[in-house]
Amino acid sequence: MAGAVLRAETAEEVAEAIGQARRQARGLEARGGATLLPRLGGAARPEPSEDADVLTLDGLSGVVDHPAADLTVTVRAGTPVAELASALAEAGQECPIEPLAGADGAPLGSTVGGRVSAALAGPRQLGAGRVRDWVLRVRYVTGEGRVAHAGGATVKDVTGYDLCRLLTGSWGTLAVLTEVTLKLRPRPPARAWYRTTRPPSAWWATLHDPAAIVTDAVGTSVLLEGHPDDVAEQADAAGLEESTPPTPPTGARAVVAPSRTDELVAAISELDCAWAAEPALGLVHLAGDATALEQARAQAERLDGRLLRLDGDAQAPVFGHDPGPDPYAGPLREALDPDAVLAPWRWSR
Amino acid sequence: MGATTDPTQRMQERGLLHAQERGLLHALEEIVGPQGLRTGAYGRAMYRRDASFLNAEPLAVAAPRTVEEAARVLRACRDHGVPFTPRAAGTGLAGGATPVGEDRRPLVISMARMDRIVEVDAAGRRAYVEPGAVNLRLGQAAARHGLRFAPDPASQIAATLGGNIATNAGGIHVLTYGVMSQHVLSVDVLDTDGVRHTLDGTLAEQGGLDVRGLTVGNEGTFGLVVGAWLRLLPVPPHTATLLAGFPSLTAAAEAVSAIVTGSRLPDAIELMDARAIHLVEDYAQAGYPSDAAAVLLVEHEGLTHGVEAGVAEAERLVRAHGASTVTRAADAAQRARIWKGRKAVAGAIAKVAPDYYLQDVVVPRSRLAEMLAEVVAIGEREDLTILNVLHAGDGNLHPFVAFDRREEGVLERVHRAGAAMVTTALSLGGSLTGEHGVGVEKRDFLCEVFGEDGLEVQRRVRRAMDPTGLANPHKVLPTPAGCAESAPSMVPTGAWV
Ligand SMILES: Cc1cc2nc3c(=O)[nH]c(=O)nc-3n(C[C@H](O)[C@H](O)[C@H](O)COP(=O)(O)OP(=O)(O)OC[C@H]3O[C@@H](n4cnc5c(N)ncnc54)[C@H](O)[C@@H]3O)c2cc1C
Ligand SMILES: Cc1cc2nc3c(=O)[nH]c(=O)nc-3n(C[C@H](O)[C@H](O)[C@H](O)COP(=O)(O)OP(=O)(O)OC[C@H]3O[C@@H](n4cnc5c(N)ncnc54)[C@H](O)[C@@H]3O)c2cc1C
Repeated sequence: MAGAVLRAETAEEVAEAIGQARRQARGLEARGGATLLPRLGGAARPEPSEDADVLTLDGLSGVVDHPAADLTVTVRAGTPVAELASALAEAGQECPIEPLAGADGAPLGSTVGGRVSAALAGPRQLGAGRVRDWVLRVRYVTGEGRVAHAGGATVKDVTGYDLCRLLTGSWGTLAVLTEVTLKLRPRPPARAWYRTTRPPSAWWATLHDPAAIVTDAVGTSVLLEGHPDDVAEQADAAGLEESTPPTPPTGARAVVAPSRTDELVAAISELDCAWAAEPALGLVHLAGDATALEQARAQAERLDGRLLRLDGDAQAPVFGHDPGPDPYAGPLREALDPDAVLAPWRWSR
Repeated sequence: MGATTDPTQRMQERGLLHAQERGLLHALEEIVGPQGLRTGAYGRAMYRRDASFLNAEPLAVAAPRTVEEAARVLRACRDHGVPFTPRAAGTGLAGGATPVGEDRRPLVISMARMDRIVEVDAAGRRAYVEPGAVNLRLGQAAARHGLRFAPDPASQIAATLGGNIATNAGGIHVLTYGVMSQHVLSVDVLDTDGVRHTLDGTLAEQGGLDVRGLTVGNEGTFGLVVGAWLRLLPVPPHTATLLAGFPSLTAAAEAVSAIVTGSRLPDAIELMDARAIHLVEDYAQAGYPSDAAAVLLVEHEGLTHGVEAGVAEAERLVRAHGASTVTRAADAAQRARIWKGRKAVAGAIAKVAPDYYLQDVVVPRSRLAEMLAEVVAIGEREDLTILNVLHAGDGNLHPFVAFDRREEGVLERVHRAGAAMVTTALSLGGSLTGEHGVGVEKRDFLCEVFGEDGLEVQRRVRRAMDPTGLANPHKVLPTPAGCAESAPSMVPTGAWV
């Protein structure tokens, strides 16, 4: 049976689409801005196919509520991150889940739901914490079609089990997000990227709470944020020169425990790969051919890390692991998506 | 084993349960040694309650010394079909550590003998702790390396890190640093089969489902937390603390909203009303203004210019909202006294009345003034003495209701007041609990908060994490009967006040 693109503009329509997929025993791929899905090769179904329908969320879009005095915002899951960011900027606020630009500088069309579902680390994670730390409430529809929420529109809420954390980074399995409430903060008055070719050991300790650090084969880029005088003094003390933002390669992402980044970088720089690392986070961004990327994966795994291929190679391993060893993953999936409707193929490659 | 109405059969079942209980006690003595087991009336009585006023009778109390012993205790519970309630310092305020068993008395598992701070990895800015280690001790250990542990509940001199994890505790400085969950890198849990799992967050991404995050705040219903890697942060280079006295509670609350929407978010904003100020001033000598109707404590941390700009703005805003006195802590000693006063409220309440009930609700920050006015009105309506202390920057209210339980009918008024505060907070778009948890006290409110489907998801998640149902039963989730009742009960079957 040929698949279809289903469109949902409300949580109820999401539930209907899920119900239909269940009845027909078909898989369903939740699709936001589709900036990431097509890069996932065989681990995603960005277009309808034999066994899968696509549930597109671009109609489930828009800011629901932005009570600026509460420093929170509620948006429908299909809202483009860029649209959210500009609405917040008008109020002098931000959520550090920032819009991302492609290599050409144009904003990617990623959505809030996609960003939260993938929970990949953005460059400012060093200073701002993880995506999951900014999620206050989610409204969602489970793979069983239950329309529910977790968390609250306040900055603290410990009512019941913390499904905000569980669904952040669940990659379109377990449940489809329909609405997300995020924590906000005032925009830092100054923000600038700097660059240096001196080794980090020479200056790192002089910085308090840098917003982002990205190293490559030539030097290091540092993002400083805060009061303009603090930013200037920190840059001076560390001997940093103002520069443009870095543009890390996007063919794959390797991650290890932060303390092992140096080891991973040493191994990867022997390979035929372009790379840029976020050392404090244990992340290495890569580009190269399939052979080089698989060699990089082997190195990451040797260091108890992982690698995610984002080059869209349909034949290649993508996640390269099955989170199956986590004994709770199975029961949780059974609890929320007993018929395995939502992206059952996700971890297959 | 379903409930049965046949009395003979019920007694048989009882007899069977007793045999199982006896069997369990034998097994436990072997596992934790006689020092680690309390079965006498007196020993058990001490474990009837936490810091809430709910209490119930435990079967016994077992205190394992190691992860291995803890695992064997859990397996013994499973083999004998006896439920258990994890317990740490017992400072919880929702009855989470109260051993409620509607038909079977739970075993209390005390974490008191697993209390080491195992390792401080200064370079990696993290520490590995056992669950019974007291929060404040981690702060002290970290300080020796120029680091600190951010979550600082007002109970930190007694509350444990395991308890903080199990409740997803908050504290005074969570405004910018975030609640406990943000500081738990990985957590080691024993499931109800006694199998150990490391729920890991050491990879920045691609680590699989965030079962770590799900587990933080589970209130003992998934199993036992037996260890964790916690995140440490560098001590900020510069700190400034402001103490502002206001002529009215409303003015102070409105100043909070103004500060929160300013250009720099402080790292802590606490509010105390006149009753709370008078209660602790003698003890803390913090210089709280004695004629103020409310004080705000505002703290900024970080690099010098940002901090100075932040306090200057806060000072301008509190004055614009009518603050009559504004003092800045002159040095670290004065700052410490200011915070000591704030953290001393609960301890000093005995001066007002022998008992207290501490509520924990949250409202969006712009609704603080409205909510506070309603708390005052509820106190007047029920003729109760209420002291207000708030994690104001988070919109998190902690009204203390001071009372004497010997007074005829007072408990009903206290319960009514508590329920009215919850209902008001929810109607203002707020939350049932910000940091103390659901426990037994608030579980029946979940029907209203989550609705049928939301609750079913919660139930399934619990079953996925504990298929046996033995881990801290009757906590967090309401019984189906609880949802059928018209008004949520704050004292469910099986618990006493
Ligand atoms: C060049 C490039 C650079 C990038 N750099 C970064 C970076 O630095 N930091 C970073 O964080 N990310 C980065 N990303 C990834 C970025 O996070 C993704 O673009 C975004 O997460 C996906 O958003 P989307 O709306 O396009 O989602 P899609 O691509 O449509 O979907 C992504 C995943 O989310 C699921 N999903 C989408 N919407 C929902 C929903 N409502 N409910 C449940 N599941 C849903 C999908 O099933 C899929 O698993 C980069 C991507 C690219 C292409
Ligand atoms: C005066 C006062 C002030 C307070 N201030 C704050 C505050 O500012 N912020 C805040 O968040 N809380 C506050 N609290 C509440 C309380 O201190 C916290 O909830 C704390 O986290 C409980 O820790 P505990 O060690 O006392 O745990 P307990 O009370 O013993 O247990 C709490 C819950 O956790 C479970 N549990 C404990 N240990 C484990 C374990 N190892 N494994 C599994 N489950 C476990 C128990 O079963 C129970 O459900 C305050 C309490 C008081 C009395």
